[in-house]
Amino acid sequence: MIHNQIAININDKKLPGDLAMWFFILAELTVFAILFIAFAVTRQLHPHMFIEGQNHLHPIAGIINTLALITSSYFVALSVHAIKKSDNSKATQHLIIALLISSVYVLTKLWEYQVLIESGFGITTNTFFMLYFFITFFHFMHVLLGMIILAFIAKKASKGEYKATETSGFEAGGCYWHMVDLVWIILFPLIYILS
Amino acid sequence: MPFKQFTISFIILLSLTVISVIVGGFVDHTTDIYQGYVIWLVLGAAIYKGHQITDVFMELKTAPLLWRVLLSSYVIVVPTLIGLIYWLPTL
Repeated sequence: MIHNQIAININDKKLPGDLAMWFFILAELTVFAILFIAFAVTRQLHPHMFIEGQNHLHPIAGIINTLALITSSYFVALSVHAIKKSDNSKATQHLIIALLISSVYVLTKLWEYQVLIESGFGITTNTFFMLYFFITFFHFMHVLLGMIILAFIAKKASKGEYKATETSGFEAGGCYWHMVDLVWIILFPLIYILS
Repeated sequence: MPFKQFTISFIILLSLTVISVIVGGFVDHTTDIYQGYVIWLVLGAAIYKGHQITDVFMELKTAPLLWRVLLSSYVIVVPTLIGLIYWLPTL
């Protein structure tokens, strides 16, 4: 009897979403880890260049982006919780809010790039800016892909296509978005705070 | 209730972000001896925030142990490596 109960408890542990999505998430996290370590090591090799470069960045923009991504992740988490109760309507509403808030990130990032480029900084300026633009633009592309995924699952949810027993696709989309947020959680202090 | 759990995590994430920014602002204004503490405080906050994302938002708390260990390891190892790269030269 106890053996059966233990077996049931083990079976209750479920990986949210798709296994394929989790392999993709791990692959992306590995790439970002390499980029972060490369940034940190290069900073130690050229401290003055990096300090000078970071002085040209806009920490306020970084803070706005952090708050936007955290808040949108919150609403994505709420949307997953709603879809598990087959509340497609509420899930859709939460996703729309998440998308609107993530648009704040997109606009702020574009503004940041515009200001830097107009000030004469670009990917060929020096090693700091090459790494800054590469890492943040790589993350920015992931945010855009994440928004497309969220929009796709929001559209499906608005049509009532998810049920409490069939949510793996929705959860997978949500987990991808949280991955994007997780990467930023490390990227933000690395590039904007630890100067 | 998940809603309460998500909301508490959300508040923790926002608070740690603000605290990190305030604490990080002291790096430029202090001598090397304090930079180490600031580096580890900021990265420690990032590690804890990462755990909130993986355990609560991604709901890996109830996932098979292997995946939880994988993501938790990432959240701990990467910021720790960064911290060591920044901190060791200050010794």
